[in-house]
Amino acid sequence: MLGISEIFEMFKNNMVNIPLIQPIIDALMNIPLVNYVVALVLWKPFFAIAILPGLGGIMLVLLLMVYWERKLTARIQWRVGPLEVFRPLRGLIQPMADGFRYFFQEVIVHVDAHRPYFVQLPILTFIPVLLPILFIPAGEIVAIRSPYAIQIIVALIALIPITIIGIGWASNSRFAYIGSVREAMMYFAYEVPFVIAVLAMILMYGSGDPYVIVEKQSVPGIIMNPIAFLVFFIATLMATSRLPFEIPEADQEIAFGPFVEYSGILFGIVMTLAYEKLYIMCLLMSILFFGGWSGFAIPLLGDLSPVIWLFVKAVVVMLIVALTRSIYPRFRLDQALRMGWTSMLAVSLVSLAVALAIRLSGWLG
Amino acid sequence: MDSRSIQVVRSGVLAPIKKWGTKWSLWPVHLVTACCGAELAHAFASGYDGERIGALNYGIARQTNLIIVEGAITRKMARVLRITWEQMPEPRFVIVMGACGLKGGLFWNGYHLVKPSDVVPVEYFIPGCPPTPEGLLRGIRSLQEKIWEGKNRNSIDFNKIELARKEIERRIPTPPKIIARNPFIKVDVPKDVDWAFGNRLVNELKEGLGNLVERITITGKNRICIRVNPKNLQRVAVKLKDKFDHVKSVNVIDVPYDNTFIVEYVVSSYSNRELMPVLVTIATKISKKNPKLPSLHSYWVSADYLEREMQDLFGVTFEGNPWGNRKFLLAPDTPDYPLRKDFKLEEEVYARDEATEGSKNEEQKQEQGGDKE
Ligand code: SF4
Repeated sequence: MLGISEIFEMFKNNMVNIPLIQPIIDALMNIPLVNYVVALVLWKPFFAIAILPGLGGIMLVLLLMVYWERKLTARIQWRVGPLEVFRPLRGLIQPMADGFRYFFQEVIVHVDAHRPYFVQLPILTFIPVLLPILFIPAGEIVAIRSPYAIQIIVALIALIPITIIGIGWASNSRFAYIGSVREAMMYFAYEVPFVIAVLAMILMYGSGDPYVIVEKQSVPGIIMNPIAFLVFFIATLMATSRLPFEIPEADQEIAFGPFVEYSGILFGIVMTLAYEKLYIMCLLMSILFFGGWSGFAIPLLGDLSPVIWLFVKAVVVMLIVALTRSIYPRFRLDQALRMGWTSMLAVSLVSLAVALAIRLSGWLG
Repeated sequence: MDSRSIQVVRSGVLAPIKKWGTKWSLWPVHLVTACCGAELAHAFASGYDGERIGALNYGIARQTNLIIVEGAITRKMARVLRITWEQMPEPRFVIVMGACGLKGGLFWNGYHLVKPSDVVPVEYFIPGCPPTPEGLLRGIRSLQEKIWEGKNRNSIDFNKIELARKEIERRIPTPPKIIARNPFIKVDVPKDVDWAFGNRLVNELKEGLGNLVERITITGKNRICIRVNPKNLQRVAVKLKDKFDHVKSVNVIDVPYDNTFIVEYVVSSYSNRELMPVLVTIATKISKKNPKLPSLHSYWVSADYLEREMQDLFGVTFEGNPWGNRKFLLAPDTPDYPLRKDFKLEEEVYARDEATEGSKNEEQKQEQGGDKE
């Protein structure tokens, strides 16, 4: 049996080490009861899930992305964008206002909905969204360490569309139905090239272990295999329904597709789904193509510095992805499908060949 | 949620957060029925940028909290407005822009018009035809202030006058009576035109139709009018349908002075190049008491919808028309036959200032008295 003291010891032996706030932590550790909380929070696996790059990171990214998207779109259209809500920060807290508004709005469950699923599914979607975070390491901070982490992450990401289709089904309305069918179709469009591109990278590095992958990237993966990156990037746009492929949601045509019937806080949750997925795929992208958490160590931050590197890389990629929203029109479903099954598939196969060549040349050992 | 937790959100500790969030996140769904929509677009484009104050144009009522009604609301649209409003989650607001939405504007006192304030509770009206983008944004800001402070405030201080509300009979100024000594509406005034083909055509028609018609006239270049008795209308149609393959329009003219309707079918051809520019009007006169005509939709398919429309607006029954006597274009609750000359509009009720009214009346009397002297 594990006693409380043993669990506490376990936490204490595996804590995130941040020299910058070490004195504060030391002081807190001497206070009874508070020290349990501090030890739990700073326990590496918990820290990875709950703070960075986990839930805390997701919240931060959500606020930033929503603001950035609105502001960027506004600037591209020669407008100012959100501003008056808090002038000193150029309206940076606009997403918070939107969030509060959604939070306090009435939630309508219409008569035709499948009541239990309609309410449960938005919350259940967090499972496939948060599970991959368990396997995404950032330096020493990792929840579950596995030599097959990349494969597991890809498999878990593939679960997300199922919950979206479930949402559409539970809504039981015309637009939701069309939207979920489109979501299913899009899933077929991107999944195969996406898996092949990841496969190419795993083949190239010779392992699915993020630690091995990051170690081998003396040159970033994007330079070694840019073709795989291209496929991965487009697949990311498709998977997270960003604009050239915003087909399942298409608010001008089918009024947010699967999410059309949601209101209030539930809509707030389902709307963030795509952003969360985008965040995870960007984390994966930075591990595979941008050297993951490698970057010069900041001594004051200690264990935190690789996490910050990973986070910053992912966020930068996300900010670039946000640009597509304001500069592209939307493809039709058949165009996207054709693209997925012809050119993207072909290019992904080429990337596989490139990876094979690099592997055989013995460059990466 | 039980009532106590709702109370916490309404007025407890969470209330300021809720108010703040709602205030800065008013996402308008816009219900465009007319030209004011252009002004709304302007208010959210680069010139004025409504997004500065947190208002983001949005397409779906379920997920937002503000409807902007732009322009006139007809009886049919009123239903849509109500449904849309009911779809929205609380808290929800309605802003109405334009003179049309206020009192009818251009369409004031129309038979088809509904005031949005009769259908949904309206927070703010923005007058103008159309209101400027500044006006609209000011409306949104006023709504924000209202949400924050909890009470309505006019953006202008008006002079106060004491109003005594009393429903009074509406006095309509008597129209100047200029009635012609011999009023007539004539649909076939002959005209001399240099049109050889027309003369030939008229002769042909005269031969073909014989004494089925009362008279055939050329009323202008490419215009021919055939006057028929309603009894012979179908037989004329049978004869004409080979030459002229479609009905362009069906009109009804209300002739109040001898209580009749003149029904016109304008037929033309799409298949014969020579006949393409020619419009032939078949005019017939029916009594207003029992306005009935045989439908011509079996000879000309395109007459079908036009007949339905005339049935809606004038109450002329076209026997044999598959639609029957139901309303076709108008909303079901529109009063009957709005385009008849004797159609009565619903009268409006005004509130008047008794005090000033009395003195005015006296002044008027004095003036009139003065005139007499
Ligand atoms: S108020 Fe004027 S501008 Fe606005 S809808 Fe009516 S007619 Fe058009």
